[in-house]
Amino acid sequence: MIWAGVALLILMALLGAPLFVVVLGAAMLGFLAEGVDLGVIAVDINALTQKPLLVALPFFTFAGYVMSAANTSQRLMALTRALFGWMPAGLAVVSLVVCALFTALTGASGVTIVALGGLLLPMLVSSGYSGKFGLGLVTSSGSLGLLVVPSVPLILYGIVAQQMNVGEPFSIQQLFAAGLAPTLLMVLLLSLYAIWRHGDAPRVKFETCALWQALKAVRWELPLPVVVLGGVFSGYFAISEAAAVTVVYVLIAEVVLYREVALRDLPGIVRQSMVMVASILLILGVALAFTSYLVDVEVPQRLFDFLKEHIKDKLTFLILLNLMLLALGAILDVFSAIVIMVPLLLPIAVGYGIHPLHFGIIFLANLEIGYFTPPIGINLFISSYRFNRPMLDLYAACLPFMLVMLAALLLITYVPWFSLWFLGF
Amino acid sequence: MKRTLSILENTLLVLLFAVMFGFAVFQIVARNLFGSGLVWGQDLVQVAMLWVTMVGAYVAVGDNRHIRIDIIARFGGKRLQAIAIRLTALFAATLCAALGWYAIEFVRWDFIDNVPGFASVPAWVCESIIPVAALAMALRFLLQAIWPPSEPPA
Repeated sequence: MIWAGVALLILMALLGAPLFVVVLGAAMLGFLAEGVDLGVIAVDINALTQKPLLVALPFFTFAGYVMSAANTSQRLMALTRALFGWMPAGLAVVSLVVCALFTALTGASGVTIVALGGLLLPMLVSSGYSGKFGLGLVTSSGSLGLLVVPSVPLILYGIVAQQMNVGEPFSIQQLFAAGLAPTLLMVLLLSLYAIWRHGDAPRVKFETCALWQALKAVRWELPLPVVVLGGVFSGYFAISEAAAVTVVYVLIAEVVLYREVALRDLPGIVRQSMVMVASILLILGVALAFTSYLVDVEVPQRLFDFLKEHIKDKLTFLILLNLMLLALGAILDVFSAIVIMVPLLLPIAVGYGIHPLHFGIIFLANLEIGYFTPPIGINLFISSYRFNRPMLDLYAACLPFMLVMLAALLLITYVPWFSLWFLGF
Repeated sequence: MKRTLSILENTLLVLLFAVMFGFAVFQIVARNLFGSGLVWGQDLVQVAMLWVTMVGAYVAVGDNRHIRIDIIARFGGKRLQAIAIRLTALFAATLCAALGWYAIEFVRWDFIDNVPGFASVPAWVCESIIPVAALAMALRFLLQAIWPPSEPPA
């Protein structure tokens, strides 16, 4: 009976039932088997109101949507170009840095590819980069920045992991710090690859005048990182408060100072962004119920005991973890993957002696690659649609970038120092 | 009818967002100017977030914006897609209805026990959005199972 239910759930998931419904079904099935009243699921959804940190999600997401509606991406690009354009393969490096920053601000929702890719790809091609290289670069950097403050997936991981209460306790600020070095490593390796492939591409001469122009254009947005980072790291604001302040700041900048987003556009932006946040939070709510069932019947513990018999060392576990997460990243979006898989995997990882911060970075770095892993990484579809290119072209274009990112992933996984340097590792 | 509904949804979402955002900002300002915010300010913000979540999830059903693994919708044939849309909508309708039913029980118990929420608002009022939105989603999924939306999932 239970197995028939499980089979039905899997079938429905593959046929395209909304994921929250699938997780809801899994929780119901579990509680039914345990003889627990299904009312607890409503209790767990209601428990969303008991996590103050969660409010940061709608605020940061809304701020990101407002910035996507304004010309932030162009200004950001002009500034980065003036700063880094003189380097070998300068434009490629510029693209990487801009994509990482823009993704951190807007979340890896595909908006980076749509908004920035459309600008960057023609520029890259007209500056002598091959079309294939440009396409691969734009598609694979659409998720770069997942580990940078104040990325919503990073915060979500923090919320879910803290909820589990296993392993060393950590703060969200520490999680933000943990993401910095791995991201720099990825950008560095990708830049080296770009220089190797296209080091002879024409460079932009460094001009103080151009830099000044770019700085002037971006002057109202330039203080934003200070607002976000200062708010987050000073301890003066809670994270959710820093998120609210970010919204205030972004609204003043884009609506009042730049006048690029009209007041009448705001209701539409609220609708779009809140529908997206709601679909994540609802999955989180039902996943909390499912998790409490799993913990009740000690699934993570049993899984760990089973694994421990077959996998003795941390290294083998990490290799298996990477393989599994890569596959997962190609079929699950980052938010669902976090709320569904972290509760299962984190206790096991901690059992193998992995720090929760390090695990979070490995988890998200894997998903970052999953975004453009053939055959069904979401970035591939977005690029295919945006640039009107067949999927096979995209597979070929992204492959080298995937290999570089995998090298970065290996380093991040097996050298905990990248994620934990500030703890004195 | 469809237009009116869409405007209504928009208004509700914007209002809820405004309450959530407005009070979050008010709390920060009040704390810095007067040394303390409202005792129940943060609770209100968090309850508003629950409402945004449930109403947003309901809107997401109509906008086809719920997260799904759509392997078959992307690679399957047209016929299979058409069947899959109806089947999954019916499945979703059933589970949402079940969630709604049990959520009513949950709200009813908090009503009977007179559980406090925030300020003088009882808990059952804050929670009531869960069964309401779940049942509304069930109805919307059911309608989609009968008359599938013309556009395939985005």
